[in-house]
Amino acid sequence: MTTTTSPPRRRRHAVAYLHLAPALIAIVLTTVYPLASALITSFRHWRLNETREPGEFVGLEQYQRAFTDATFYNSAWVTLQYTVISVVLSVGIGLLIALVLNRPGRLSALTKALLILPFAVAPALKGFSWRFMFNPEYGVYDHMLGVVLPFTDDVNWLGDPFWALMVLAMTEVWGWAPLIGLMLLGGLGSISPEVRDAARVDGASPWQEFWRVTFPLLRPLLLIIVFLKAVFSVKVFDQVLTTTGGGPGRATETLNFFAYAQGFSFLDIGYASAISWIIVLVLGVLAALYLISMTRQEAK
Amino acid sequence: MTDLTERAVRPAPPAPAAPVRARRVTPWQRAGRTLRTLATLAILFFVLFPVLWLALTAFKPASEVFSTSVVFAPTMDNFAEILGGASDLSRSLVNSVLIAVATTLISIPLALLAAYAFSRFRFPGHRAMLLAIVATQFIPGVAIALPFLTLFRALGLIDTHLSLIVVNLSLVVPYVTWLLKGFVDGLPIEIEEAARLDGCGQVTLLWRMITPLAAPGIFVSVVFSFLLSWNEFLFPTFLARTEASTLPVALMTLVQPEGVAWGPMAAAGLLVMVPMLALSLLVRKHFAQGMTMGAVK
Repeated sequence: MTTTTSPPRRRRHAVAYLHLAPALIAIVLTTVYPLASALITSFRHWRLNETREPGEFVGLEQYQRAFTDATFYNSAWVTLQYTVISVVLSVGIGLLIALVLNRPGRLSALTKALLILPFAVAPALKGFSWRFMFNPEYGVYDHMLGVVLPFTDDVNWLGDPFWALMVLAMTEVWGWAPLIGLMLLGGLGSISPEVRDAARVDGASPWQEFWRVTFPLLRPLLLIIVFLKAVFSVKVFDQVLTTTGGGPGRATETLNFFAYAQGFSFLDIGYASAISWIIVLVLGVLAALYLISMTRQEAK
Repeated sequence: MTDLTERAVRPAPPAPAAPVRARRVTPWQRAGRTLRTLATLAILFFVLFPVLWLALTAFKPASEVFSTSVVFAPTMDNFAEILGGASDLSRSLVNSVLIAVATTLISIPLALLAAYAFSRFRFPGHRAMLLAIVATQFIPGVAIALPFLTLFRALGLIDTHLSLIVVNLSLVVPYVTWLLKGFVDGLPIEIEEAARLDGCGQVTLLWRMITPLAAPGIFVSVVFSFLLSWNEFLFPTFLARTEASTLPVALMTLVQPEGVAWGPMAAAGLLVMVPMLALSLLVRKHFAQGMTMGAVK
């Protein structure tokens, strides 16, 4: 689209930057500024309940503190477990949903249309409603599971460290698996029927057809979905506060929740900023992987 | 697989050419069809049940909230309690609407201008800026909320609508810019060239031609902008717990020392949920695309 002569090109560039300016200013003020500011704060001692002004520079002290802090390691471990559980469940169930619904018919058309609903529910509200449904005394899911799997009768879902993490993950799986199903249905739709017909003519069983034909063709899309889901799992916050509040004990205290607690409850802005920058760095690695796989996909 | 299932839902062809083969396949097909129908019903249950249960609970009388029965005399008590009653959340409802509307009104014009520039011009830094915009999706909310907490404290803006609108822009502007870029990319460039030849200026072009042509995209962006602001939870818990609190945060006030007020909670939840469910059904097709920032076609 660039023109060959240089003055009009320069003019066009000026016009482009003029269009970009308002949005860029907004983005710089609301993301670049706070990120930079948090980085600077992470090198300072600053407790809001002690001083209004930022305190002395302490260098990397607060990062060192994090890496000697057992509660930080705990939340890093919780975040890792939570991410793996929710990625595996969301993507697995999402794939099942896509494979089941990938056919014509009125019932599957209706179901496809409704797949989007859970995702539109505010995560904070998801947390509350799952907490309600998993209450061991009056929760409806607790009841149902007790009927289907009688050995779960005595489980206090949110009081047990393992199950609390699972219920927390399920709040997110509920929102994401149908959405992932929707994305994968799009991917399945773009696989030409001839490829699969050819496989069947060659005598492939449905199982072979899935592993040898469908799955390899879906793999790039699945990869992107896995990265995306992992990022959103590492960032999880809303449901943690509304489902378990980090408990029992610290069993569901994710990194983001830990940073929030340090900043909001203990008003230790310096330490909280250091933790949030550690999350930024972790997500930065995931973002790089995501962007690389995305540009590779574009190149194809 | 498609072929198989298509045949499965259609009535069996009368007198098939190879009767032996057809007879051998049919029981499998029938079993497969039943299995799929059951699986579809299970998916429907998984997707809808929590929403339905919340809706049901919202209309339950206080005596029935803690039972799992589905037979009860529906009542509006829970709604009365949260809208003008003992735990009045109407103020938060107004806050939520105001903040979502303001965020949207500010974001969409900024994003449309930027999207147009990204779509129609190539300029130094083009690619880097686009990647940076995608990268904003990876920033954890706490990293943004913390500096604003100290900044707004210093400025005396804690617990104001303005503070939440400003912070919400960090979510909405990059997201909607990307979304709208996709829509502008799809508009034919010939119309613009013709208009330019007719002496149409840049401002007129944007306002009279691009905006109407991109209207469907703008509508989708408005919905997403609303959804993001409306469901946002971390920023308001950090920055606006009382005066300017939004509905999702106000839900927290129903968690009381003597236990959670589940009836009113469900009613308030329905208020949070229903507008977003309705809007999301309208833009269903764009959801998957919007979420992956255009990576998935």
